[in-house]
Amino acid sequence: MSVMYEQLSTVVLKGNEVATPDLVQKALDEGMVPKEILDSGLIVGMNEVGARFKRGQMFVPEVLMSAKAMHAGMEVLRPHLVASGAKLIGKIVLGTVKGDLHDIGKNLVGMMCEGAGFEVINLGFNVEPEKFVKAIKEHQPDVVGMSALLTTTMRAMGYTIKAIEEAGLRDQVKIMVGGAPVDADFAERIGADGYGSNAVNGVEVAKQFVGTV
Amino acid sequence: MSQPEKLPVVIISCLVLQNMLERLLPANLAEQVSFLDYGLHRVPDKLTWTLQDAVDSVEKPSLVVLGYGLCGNGLDGLKAGKHTLLVPRADDCIAILLGSRQAYIREFESVPGTYYLSKGWLESGSHPLKEYNECVEKYGPEDAAWIMDQQYQHYERLALVTHSESDMDKYRPQAEEVAEYCEQWGMRYEEILGSDDYVRQLIEVATALDKAGDDFVVIPPGGEIRQEQFIR
Repeated sequence: MSVMYEQLSTVVLKGNEVATPDLVQKALDEGMVPKEILDSGLIVGMNEVGARFKRGQMFVPEVLMSAKAMHAGMEVLRPHLVASGAKLIGKIVLGTVKGDLHDIGKNLVGMMCEGAGFEVINLGFNVEPEKFVKAIKEHQPDVVGMSALLTTTMRAMGYTIKAIEEAGLRDQVKIMVGGAPVDADFAERIGADGYGSNAVNGVEVAKQFVGTV
Repeated sequence: MSQPEKLPVVIISCLVLQNMLERLLPANLAEQVSFLDYGLHRVPDKLTWTLQDAVDSVEKPSLVVLGYGLCGNGLDGLKAGKHTLLVPRADDCIAILLGSRQAYIREFESVPGTYYLSKGWLESGSHPLKEYNECVEKYGPEDAAWIMDQQYQHYERLALVTHSESDMDKYRPQAEEVAEYCEQWGMRYEEILGSDDYVRQLIEVATALDKAGDDFVVIPPGGEIRQEQFIR
């Protein structure tokens, strides 16, 4: 069993978009539990991707290929996750903040939140504070996740939180922030409830918010 | 902030500012000038360690002038030690190349999705076309194209920033080649004549720290550069 988990995490780490879905299928055929394939296999691989990226041992193209492999694996896994009774654990609204058009990390968080059982409403990039406010009113999410790649644009996270406060919606959502320049100090300063240091960690934070960890 | 006794001036800068600094630095201002490699900001932690080593290796207590901005938090956590640090209060080199924070904000507000090219970035081969070619070698054309789409599909403009008409003429052909590649995402090509005002001011402040004002961060000995000092 553990060999299979190791292989699953390795194919994600290597960004192998062909081997990953094949191996997921093989694991399913062998009767492995879908949630375990995800948690002990694919996510372990993605976690290592995040760590290596932070240390400069992996770069954006490699991270993208890993995300693509993970995505291909999820396509095979998703119907089985649903069939095995994994229920929706919450709803999350995600967006890259105003002025910022980088969405690789945010989309990765979205894909992994889906895998974890969230309903994900992805607002895209360059999202104005008002659009976050509108989405909260419309979708009534449990969690709002904001992302930025640049120190220039991460300030917009603070403005967005203010807008959510002014709309009287702050108490009904948990807010998490993430992206390369964001750290725990910054998250606290702008009044966010949490911070994800990478995609896997972001999902963990969201899960904590809805009380499933 | 006063400069009690005249400290020796040491300059540590990214190569991207080399030309401007070498052109504008008065002959006897700095005891030591060193340039560090382009692109260290891609791994901000690496930029921090590399700069910390460079700062720590300066022997005498000095005014260490850093030719950097916050650079993706690469300067966050940099410790002054026995030195005084002076750094432009800019997010990255774009504001410095354009001449001021105001010029940067103007460009940013008009087209947020701008990919900036400069002499330094072109010479070091840091641009989407080069990246694409490297990815093709590694992943083949199909995955390479997808990887590039993921990174650049939302950008709207490619802007070449230089500091003279002659440099504009010199780097235009190379920039246009990159621009042609970037057209697939609807990016338009523009040329911006930057200004050396920010670097001039940096040099001026290095001779009189009390002129630092709002556009520079000064860290006294024992202090540390923090991200929040750059946020305004």
